[in-house]
Amino acid sequence: MIGYVAKRLITMPLLLLGVITVAFLLSHFTNADPLTSIVGERQMGNQAVVQAAKERWGLDRSLPEQYLIYLKNLLTGDFGVSFRTKQPVSQDLLARLPATLELVIAAMLVGAVTGVTLGVMAANFRDRLTDHFARLFALVGSSIPVFWSGLILLYIFSVSLGWLPGPGRLNPRIEAPPFVTGFYTVDSLIAGDWSKFVDAATHLILPALALGWTVTGIVSRMVRGSMLDVLQQDFITAARAKGASRMRILLNHALRNAFLPTLTILGFSFAYLITGAILTETIFSWPGIGSYAVAAARGLDHPAIIGVTIVGGAAFLLANLATDLAYLAVDPRVRLGGQSER
Amino acid sequence: MLRSLFANCRTATLGVAATAIISATPAHAQEQPLIIARHLEINSLDPSRAFCDTCQIYLSSTYQGLVALGADNKSIEPQLAESWEVNDDQTVFTFMLSPDAVFSDGSPVEAKDVKWSFERLKNLKADASFMMSLVKSIETPDEKTVVVTMESPNSEFLGVLTAPYTGIVNSDVASEAGASAAEDAATADTAESWFQANSAGSGPYMLKSYAPDDELRFVRNEKFWGEKPAIAEIVIDETADAVSQAQALQSGAADIAMQIDPDTSKTIASPDLTLETVPSYNFIYVMFSPGAEGNKVPLTKEVRQALAYAIDYEGLIQFTVGGEGKPQASPIPNGFPGTADLPMPVEDLEKAKAMLAEAGLADGFELDAPVAQLNVYGVDLVLLMQKIQQDLARVNVKLNIQPVASAVWREQVAKPGAPFSARFYAPDYFGSAQYVQFFGMVPDSFWLTRASQGKEDLLNQKEAELLGKALAAPDAERETIYRDIALEMIDDRIIIPVVSPNLVLAHRNDVAGVRYSACCNLPLAELSRK
Repeated sequence: MIGYVAKRLITMPLLLLGVITVAFLLSHFTNADPLTSIVGERQMGNQAVVQAAKERWGLDRSLPEQYLIYLKNLLTGDFGVSFRTKQPVSQDLLARLPATLELVIAAMLVGAVTGVTLGVMAANFRDRLTDHFARLFALVGSSIPVFWSGLILLYIFSVSLGWLPGPGRLNPRIEAPPFVTGFYTVDSLIAGDWSKFVDAATHLILPALALGWTVTGIVSRMVRGSMLDVLQQDFITAARAKGASRMRILLNHALRNAFLPTLTILGFSFAYLITGAILTETIFSWPGIGSYAVAAARGLDHPAIIGVTIVGGAAFLLANLATDLAYLAVDPRVRLGGQSER
Repeated sequence: MLRSLFANCRTATLGVAATAIISATPAHAQEQPLIIARHLEINSLDPSRAFCDTCQIYLSSTYQGLVALGADNKSIEPQLAESWEVNDDQTVFTFMLSPDAVFSDGSPVEAKDVKWSFERLKNLKADASFMMSLVKSIETPDEKTVVVTMESPNSEFLGVLTAPYTGIVNSDVASEAGASAAEDAATADTAESWFQANSAGSGPYMLKSYAPDDELRFVRNEKFWGEKPAIAEIVIDETADAVSQAQALQSGAADIAMQIDPDTSKTIASPDLTLETVPSYNFIYVMFSPGAEGNKVPLTKEVRQALAYAIDYEGLIQFTVGGEGKPQASPIPNGFPGTADLPMPVEDLEKAKAMLAEAGLADGFELDAPVAQLNVYGVDLVLLMQKIQQDLARVNVKLNIQPVASAVWREQVAKPGAPFSARFYAPDYFGSAQYVQFFGMVPDSFWLTRASQGKEDLLNQKEAELLGKALAAPDAERETIYRDIALEMIDDRIIIPVVSPNLVLAHRNDVAGVRYSACCNLPLAELSRK
């Protein structure tokens, strides 16, 4: 087990190196010169200013030189300085990562809880109204783009009904709680500020619902299908014969065995949610990695673009590893090295 | 619809909460944070590297210059300098600093800080460094006297010093943070990150915190040596577009909205809000580049004049800003020195056709028009270009509009050039020379290089000589000289201003002191709650 994890962790930097290389090359082969976002329009004709900017940002060096310097700095945790925010990219990412994680974790919870619940209900009430409702709900969640569902949710619950706040993480008249985790909900609780917690939590609901809905659809369909498969198995018949209650059969026997493929989906969903957060954060003015990525792309901010790519790549690889490890924990039949036992 | 929906949603409940907070504590109104809805778009908070509209608000609130622009947007008033003297040929400027002036840490503002700030601004070779480009030397005969000597006459230097980019920095504090004013400052200075989180000026406010793309938070400078501002804390909250800002204002989530365009303002009807439309010095222009590679026919002065006659200026102002704007004669904005009674551009279709026929172009031609996909001061540049496309079609000219990202546009205009395009401009301070140096066909001007592309001889020697005269002239003579320059710039027919959009000042009724400043956008220290 430890050897397996170590092997995966060792190969991870190599995979990340590939991600970095591709991101670096792609961002440098775009048609636009990043200098146009560093030097103001008026001074673009001033050679002294242009040269000073090139030297300052290392753009006077050849591409291979820039690449090697970037890699060398990366080894010391230096992601470079953002052309746009003028702050170290690592600092920008650390400031924004908690916002994205708070949103993604909340969305994941929404997606997992509602998805599993609907999947179990759909399997239990196969081809009945509950099943049809769950299918429709799943279909809508999987089909509607998150920017659209986000707008609809905002319109209904914020504008029309006024039940929940609009975009942003916090009312602008309120200052952010002292930084501990970067999660406003957690930090406001740590600070003992209940009203700030309520404000942060209510701001989280709509973006988490919009983002989580996409996962709900996939998870509920997966749980339903797996449950129906498992419910046909002999051991379920045996359990019934022993007089186990329907709920016990559903939750303890069927769901546990149907959970493996769902776990895979949840693992992939985590990475999907991080990328999906780009649109959600834009719609909800959520100052996380997603909105940072959009602004970086618009501003030709190469260090920030590559930084976000590394974080996204690492999140994807770690999510995969976590999924595999969860498999091991949940299913005793799965053994490392491709062997399984019955 | 999406835009409106998003805007509605953005602020609804925030507003309810915000209004509740305000109304719940009327006695402490001035202590409640005042929220300004605005698209931040900040390039830097370092006073010597910053160059953006929001930067003007930030810098003019946290730093102070030697002089300031008066509320009439024309006169120059003392700020850190209580008095000054200028020699007859406009080359030596002597400033006497106020003995009471102190930075936010309580230390006195001294001549060495002025010298250090100006030298840093020049040596960083950043966007605003041009403001110090003519400075030859800075002497500090004593702690409260500064003598600035120019390389050549510069009658506009006092105007330049009203620009917030020339604010005086606490040199001791900034140097400790890695700032440098030495000649190699462009590479040796490492203080920009520090300035993103700290201010070191003598202004009425200090930087409390800055979260890029989120909010910029000011707190009152309790050691301010002038009259203390009324509002204790001000937040500029990132609100990307006009509709969102209008909704934030209506719902109470914001107290002031800064970028509401005239069209959006017509959708607002609330007894709690004050909306005032005022003329601005901002303008949108179209330009020709006779040297651009993509030209299919020679864009001679006569052809350019003909095309200028073919534009329906009044219709364009109606179309782009619903009539809430003014025509502008020359690239020097209305109200600046030299612009009184200039001939406004006119539409004359028959004349346009006749001139094109004379140039052998009666059957028309194609004209490429790359344009940045931007909405500035309420004007969508692509839509504006579509209106001009219709206008030019009347003289058989086919305009090929090519919408591109702003960064791509900037590259394209630099080389190989854009035969025809549209852009915008806002003043950095009150003074006409900045416009001649940018738009005029004078040596080293931005548009001479781009319009000629090194191929066409567009240099206007007379214009260049007049500029030299204006920079050496005393106050009384400048108006006439700039008028002559403006007429030359009109005759160049390279830059054709098409609209100067009005500004909408929108705020909640309980907010006072909202006004437009030509150098600083919105002076925060003048704001208060009724």
